Amino acid sequence: MSEQPTIRAVDVHKRFGTIEVLKGVSFEVHRGSVVSMIGASGSGKSTLLRCINHLETPTSGDILIDGESLCFRGGTGSERRPRPLAEINRMRRDLGIVFQQFNLWPHMTVLGNVIEAPIRVRGLARKEAIALGEACLARVHLGEKAIEYPARLSGGQQQRVAIARALAMQPKVMLFDEPTSSLDPELTDEVLGVMRELANDGTTMIVVTHEMGFAREVSDRVMFLHNGLIEEEGLPAEIFSAPKSERFRQFISKHLRPAS
Amino acid sequence: MSESLQQALDVSVFWEYRTVLLRGLAVNVYVFAAAAVLALGIGLGAALLRVNRFRALRWIGTLHVEIFRNAPDYIMVVWVHFVLPLLIGYVIHRRFELHPFVSAVIGLGFVYSGYFAETFRAGIEAVPIAHIEAGRSCGMSERLILWRIVLPQVVRRMLPESINQFISLFKATTIVSLIAVPDLMYQVSMITQQEMRPLPLYTGAALTYFAVILLAGSGLRALSERWRRKIYA
Repeated sequence: MSEQPTIRAVDVHKRFGTIEVLKGVSFEVHRGSVVSMIGASGSGKSTLLRCINHLETPTSGDILIDGESLCFRGGTGSERRPRPLAEINRMRRDLGIVFQQFNLWPHMTVLGNVIEAPIRVRGLARKEAIALGEACLARVHLGEKAIEYPARLSGGQQQRVAIARALAMQPKVMLFDEPTSSLDPELTDEVLGVMRELANDGTTMIVVTHEMGFAREVSDRVMFLHNGLIEEEGLPAEIFSAPKSERFRQFISKHLRPAS
Repeated sequence: MSESLQQALDVSVFWEYRTVLLRGLAVNVYVFAAAAVLALGIGLGAALLRVNRFRALRWIGTLHVEIFRNAPDYIMVVWVHFVLPLLIGYVIHRRFELHPFVSAVIGLGFVYSGYFAETFRAGIEAVPIAHIEAGRSCGMSERLILWRIVLPQVVRRMLPESINQFISLFKATTIVSLIAVPDLMYQVSMITQQEMRPLPLYTGAALTYFAVILLAGSGLRALSERWRRKIYA
C-alpha cells in the first residue's frame, strides 16, 4: 500500500472566533475505500468534511488531494502562499459533496441541476452532458424524474438527485455530510441503498453519518471524533465490537441499532 | 345630474382626438420601457454593491439608494432636464443640452433604480447560502454562481413586488409632460387649449391609464404566478 492517498488531511485545525472546533486532525483515505466519520453533535465531523473541499478554510494544517495541497501553492518553501480561489475551484471538481439539506437549485429541473456544472465548469457540450446526466440519474434510480422540478420530489428523491449532481462531476471522492439526517426514516433506506451501491462500485467515499448500521456494514474504516480530535479509529468490525475508549463505548451504546 | 358633471363625463371629444392621444400614450410606453431598463440595470448594480464584502462599496450602494429613493420623481425629472445640463456644461466648458425624452428617462430611471435596488437586495439575501455552497462545491466561480444560481432565483422572488413598481413607474410617466415630452398628458393639455374642455379629456385620460394598467398588470401577474408555481410548490 505505497500508493498515494487520494485524500490526506494533515494536522487540520479550525477555529471559529474563540472556539476551536478541530484541534489537529490527520488521516488518509485511499482510492476505493469508504470511511465513515461518526461522533456526537459538535464533535467537529461536519466542519472537517467542509474543510476537505474548502467550504471552510482550515485555520492551520492542510488537505492534500492526490498529493496536491488544497490550501497552499508553491510547495513547502518560502514560495508557499494561500491557494487562489480559481485554483481551489478547479480542485473542487474532484470532490463531490452531498449536503444534509440536499441544496438542489429550485429553479432548475432535476436534469438541469445535474448537468449545470458539467456544462459550465467542465465545458462539456450540452448533448454529452445530457447523456452523462441521464446516466447519473439512472445510477440513483431517478431516470424518469429528469424533467421534474425539485419541489415536486420527496426528500429521499431530492437527496438522490443531489448525489447524481455530485457524481456528474466524476469526482475522485464523494463526501457525504449527514445525508440522511433530514429525512423521514422510511426515506432513509432509499438513500442509504444508493450509497451502498456506490460503495460496491468502488467509489471513494467519506461519510459523516449517524447511521451506525450503515457505518458498520459499508465502511472500510470508521473514525470516531470527539471534541475536535479523532478519538478512535479502525476497522468497523473491530472498533464496534471492542471499543477502547469509554466515550466511544458510551456513544455506541446510545446509537447502535441492530444492523439491518 | 348637473350639466357640468355631464360634460365632464362625456368623453366623445377624447374619442375625436384618439389618433394623437394614442400617439401620446405610445410615448408614455417608450419612456416607461427605457426608464424600466435603466432602473433595473442600475438597481441591480446598486444591490450588488450593497451586498459586497467591501465596506466602501456597500456604502456607495447605500448612498445611491437613499439619494434616489428619497427624491420626488417630479423634482428629479425637472432637475435632470434643467440643472444637470448646466453642471455638465460647466465641467466640459461647452453648452450642453439634454433631449426631453432623455431627461425623462434618466430622471425616472434613477429614482426607480433606488426602489429596484432594494427589491434586488431583498431577493439576493433570500437565496439560501447553501445553494451558493452547492455551486462552490461543484467548482463554480463566484460570477457563475451569481448569474446561474442567485439571479435566476432573485428574479422569480422579486416578480410580485416588481410588478407593483412597474405600475407606479408607468403612472409616474404622466409627469414627463412637464418638460415637454409629448406624452398622453401633454397631448391632453394641447387639445385643451384648442377645445377649452379640459374635464372630459382628463376623464378620458384617467380611463385610458386605468385600462392599460389593469390589463398589463393582471396579465403580468398571471404569467409570473404560472412561472413561479413550478418552483415554489
